[in-house]
Amino acid sequence: MNPTVNPAMNPAVNLNSKMNMNVIGLLFGIGFGGFLAAGNLHEYDTIHSMLRLDDLYVYFMMASAIGVSAPLLWLLDRRRINTPFGGELALSRSKPEAKHFKGGAMFGLGWAIAGTCPAPALVMLSSGAWLSLVAIPGIFLGLHLRERQQMNALGGTGHAGDGEHRELQPTGSC
Amino acid sequence: MFDLLPDRVPWFIVGPGLGLLIVGMFMLANQPLGASGAYVQTSGLLRRRDGVAVWRVWYFVGMALGGLLVTSVLRSGWEVRPGYDSMNAVFPLWAVVPMVFAGATLLGYGAAVAGGCTSGHGICGTAQRSPASVAVTATFMATAIATTFVLRVLTGGAL
Repeated sequence: MNPTVNPAMNPAVNLNSKMNMNVIGLLFGIGFGGFLAAGNLHEYDTIHSMLRLDDLYVYFMMASAIGVSAPLLWLLDRRRINTPFGGELALSRSKPEAKHFKGGAMFGLGWAIAGTCPAPALVMLSSGAWLSLVAIPGIFLGLHLRERQQMNALGGTGHAGDGEHRELQPTGSC
Repeated sequence: MFDLLPDRVPWFIVGPGLGLLIVGMFMLANQPLGASGAYVQTSGLLRRRDGVAVWRVWYFVGMALGGLLVTSVLRSGWEVRPGYDSMNAVFPLWAVVPMVFAGATLLGYGAAVAGGCTSGHGICGTAQRSPASVAVTATFMATAIATTFVLRVLTGGAL
């Protein structure tokens, strides 16, 4: 794609970039889910033995994921690269607030009991483990309850958080 | 089907692989690859809300497809099963189902409060060196390890 063309100015290019973004989303999902399955992260036993500190595999896996991505992101951020679908790269660094500790504690409690989290639960489903059909609706319900609470607090007009720790970029909202 | 992959691919392949996917998504679209965000967008699409990031719904579908590809095509022995082997060994199924549901609801609610989950904060956020993400990750790790210890004591070491 020609980087000098502003996608917002050209409906044809905008539609094209939306379609591209959907294909990219699907492919990255396949990659992410595939790697989680390769590491057996969709198994309750993997998460449980990690949290029992019996098996350090998941800690090494997470540390190496961060170890590879953090320096690369630092470099790309310093070079202020332009991304084809999301404008200039802008990393977010929010300050910790009470919600981060409260939310983190609730997440940790639920994670230890359910032995899965949002991404591995989907892999659990496609791996044939039917108890994921109990876990996935639970995750949807929990996210929804919080969203509704926030909407009510905003008088029903607000747009609740998007599950990420920053607002979606306009080009991402396709 | 083909049984190409070992039972568990080493962490030094899985971890860097996930790390490179995260870097790739930042390079292409300046977006974190969080799974709870994909749930929120998917639920928004199902309820026909405005402003849904459809690519995150495709990401949601992709995660399941990737799991299917690895567990059924690259590995052998795909079958329908309950899952939760070590929990089912300790508790009867009528107790496992509400436990899993309650835990999942709690973690979903907590992810919404914190603004992300193990992927959004735990990997993407910490890789951006976000202090908030480091705080969330440290909190959920410590809470989960402590909870697991309590469960272990309560079940007399069985779980």
